[in-house]
Amino acid sequence: MNRMSSENNLDKPKEDEIVRIDFAFRKELAEKVEGNLASFCYQCGACVGDCPATFYSDDFNPREIMLKVLYGLEKELIGEDSVLWLCTNCYNCTERCPQDVKPVEVIISLKNMLADRGIVPKTVSRIIDTFEKTGRTVQLSSAVTKERAKLGLKPLEEIPMDEIHKLLAPAEEDSGK
Amino acid sequence: MNKFAFFPGCMIPARYPHMEYAIRKTLPNLGIELEDLPEASCCPDPIYFKSKDKLSWLSIAARNLCLAEDKGLDIVTNCSGCTATLSEARHLLEDEELRTKVNKRLARIDREYKGEVRVRHIVTVVRDVAGYEAVKESVKCKLEGLKVAIHYGCHLLKPSKIMNVDDPNDPKVMEALITALGATPVRHRNWFLCCGKACQDEDIPANMMRDILSTVRDVEADILCLICPTCFSQFDHGQVRVGKRFGEDFNTPPVYYFQLLALAQGIQYENLGFNRQRIKPKILDKIETTLSHA
Ligand code: SF4
Ligand code: SF4
Repeated sequence: MNRMSSENNLDKPKEDEIVRIDFAFRKELAEKVEGNLASFCYQCGACVGDCPATFYSDDFNPREIMLKVLYGLEKELIGEDSVLWLCTNCYNCTERCPQDVKPVEVIISLKNMLADRGIVPKTVSRIIDTFEKTGRTVQLSSAVTKERAKLGLKPLEEIPMDEIHKLLAPAEEDSGK
Repeated sequence: MNKFAFFPGCMIPARYPHMEYAIRKTLPNLGIELEDLPEASCCPDPIYFKSKDKLSWLSIAARNLCLAEDKGLDIVTNCSGCTATLSEARHLLEDEELRTKVNKRLARIDREYKGEVRVRHIVTVVRDVAGYEAVKESVKCKLEGLKVAIHYGCHLLKPSKIMNVDDPNDPKVMEALITALGATPVRHRNWFLCCGKACQDEDIPANMMRDILSTVRDVEADILCLICPTCFSQFDHGQVRVGKRFGEDFNTPPVYYFQLLALAQGIQYENLGFNRQRIKPKILDKIETTLSHA
């Protein structure tokens, strides 16, 4: 801070000392639903203590993820084998954060950015595909169909996929975002 | 009768039909009537599809909420994931800008989200609409002597500002529901821990489950009771994997609460699908036959 404001620029920071914030990345994230919440993070670390992914892994820390978002360190978050997939979606961080950052929601918004770039783990993309084909995330087996009949439960109905697909189509209305 | 729009989701009807069977059998005995939503889709799930595109996720969730609005009925869900998605969607759609965006999409299928219905997990409906006394009165065979550990799971309680179910740091609802069956709830040290299902890693969930299952074993619980089919699959199939991995036999059968309620209301063990579980709650078969009818 001091030297940035020093008038004579005697100790101008070296190039590798300057943190350059990637605002394009932050802007893209902010356009996701609740993606802008990291802006309110003041790095207190309250979200960390109750985070099971942090407790069980040395690689994951929601406070650090929020810091990387604030700096716009896209490369550290968006790529193959992203650390984001370690989150268990338990919402403890959201319970604890005094700033209503909802770290897990920021993390999911970052996953949306991964999906936009086509980088999604196979187990995840398989379930997404099943939903987009059938309207359900679980495929119905013939064994369960039989079991339902035996129990006197109604057969599961086809989901009107035309409606689902119309809702999924990327929107002209949304663009210009 | 109190009537609700029933939103069974995907996991229960398409993978665990006995859970649905138990719900449909037990709720009428508590004065709760269910009306189906035949055109409902996946909620969509708050882990996988939500990771793809939140706005699409929100739009599909809004369509499901519209189906209940058409009927003028509040929604009751039987899966914590569905509860999370639909409750959160309802909360997000209070924001005018977001609602306008989503309604533009819904207009493509001639629908409009108005925000007229509530979303409630079946457990809260039983607590608030029927009441613990009604549960107690519906019991024909008390599950006396049965020690029940509880896995609350995450999305029934959190985020608490949206879910509004119970104190997330000291919940009571499941203990009370188990006591109403004549069984004894036991709290284990890791009761608050997540099942880990959503984590895309092998080590983290395996270690989490080992810690939960070890503390359940420490308190000598007979079964692990839960109210979410995702947690269930984690503790049934997942337990086999974790057991192999660590060379330990936890032998902790997971049981979905409404199947336990059905048993207490007098439905036979064989008709409740317990034999299809990987870790079978055989103790329930024994306990049922030794029961004194209340
Ligand atoms: S608790 Fe909230 S404000 Fe504190 S570090 Fe975590 S996200 Fe930031
Ligand atoms: S939701 Fe994710 S980041 Fe938040 S506490 Fe749970 S595991 Fe950690």
